[in-house]
Amino acid sequence: MEVTLKIFRYNPETDKKPSYKSYKLDANEMDRVLDLLEKVKGYQDGTLSFRRSCAHGICGSDAMRINGMNRLACKTLIRDVGTRVTVEPILGLPVLKDLIVDMEPFFDNFRSVKPWFITADPEPEKERYQSPEARARFDDTTKCILCACCTTSCPSFWGSEKYVGPAAIVAAHRFIFDDRDQAAAERLQILNEATGVHRCHTIFNCTMACPREIQITKAIGEVKMAISTGILD
Amino acid sequence: MGLKRDVSLKDFLRYKGKGPMLTFILHRIGGLGMVTFVGLHVLASFVGGRVGPAINLIYENWIFQIVVFFCVLFHVINGLRIVILDLWPKLIEHQREAIWLEWMIFLPVYGMAVYVIVNTALGG
Ligand code: FES
Repeated sequence: MEVTLKIFRYNPETDKKPSYKSYKLDANEMDRVLDLLEKVKGYQDGTLSFRRSCAHGICGSDAMRINGMNRLACKTLIRDVGTRVTVEPILGLPVLKDLIVDMEPFFDNFRSVKPWFITADPEPEKERYQSPEARARFDDTTKCILCACCTTSCPSFWGSEKYVGPAAIVAAHRFIFDDRDQAAAERLQILNEATGVHRCHTIFNCTMACPREIQITKAIGEVKMAISTGILD
Repeated sequence: MGLKRDVSLKDFLRYKGKGPMLTFILHRIGGLGMVTFVGLHVLASFVGGRVGPAINLIYENWIFQIVVFFCVLFHVINGLRIVILDLWPKLIEHQREAIWLEWMIFLPVYGMAVYVIVNTALGG
């Protein structure tokens, strides 16, 4: 079948404004959008720039707007998006070139919630034990691959990059509800500030956009609840 | 140098957030609609002469009432859904069903109200 890819193009060295360029390709319905981007770059226009690495939905580098919605190009089949596909960069981050955005503001927000294990307990000889039930408490939020699909689909983040965004809250949730970690109070305090969870208006764009199907709005809701009640339920 | 991060209203509206985003947008429109309605109401009581009654005519108009009722009812029902989900985060897993339920409550109530408003306006 013939597929038309309409791609957002912007070269900071030559273009004042972005534009769209269309490419016609012979494709199979089981091809992924990433396969077609590779074909365009390999055979039609070598100047096209986009990020990709694993090509298997693990590294999170190829988040983009495909037909108006955030998705991973490597997990999106042509069968599911039709033969006319518009590909644009994710919103709310500065576009560096074509489909490549500057992820630094996203990672700054991520780092601000201290997404690492914190404890004052001495290091045990072997691993730190945890019951299966306690591990299950935060299982969903361990699945995040930091692709930024959620944060860049959020109207609150579009409004202000100071809002830490769904991905950072998911990362915080993963440690706040881990019973081996001891910095939950510190993280909840960070997320209780004006740039934290209270900017979430329960819109659900993040949950809809997550390629890992994490219940992001639920995780944010649980963090909001923990802040208001002081209880890690 | 790259492009600025700004998200235009056009980009905002073009994002395909589907059902949930539609309710978010309608909630905002509902809020603005209510502010306009209350604003006009307050203004009408303060402004004398011919302007006050003229403003009254606008918001007493049945078309305006249909719009205002949409704003109020949608804002209330959608707001209630969000409050419930915020208070019981475990229910958030059922957000799709919650939105369906919201429309199932909203549409008949709004439909009935529109019927009554139109019927009354047309002298039924
Ligand atoms: S290329 Fe790694 S997630 Fe798509």
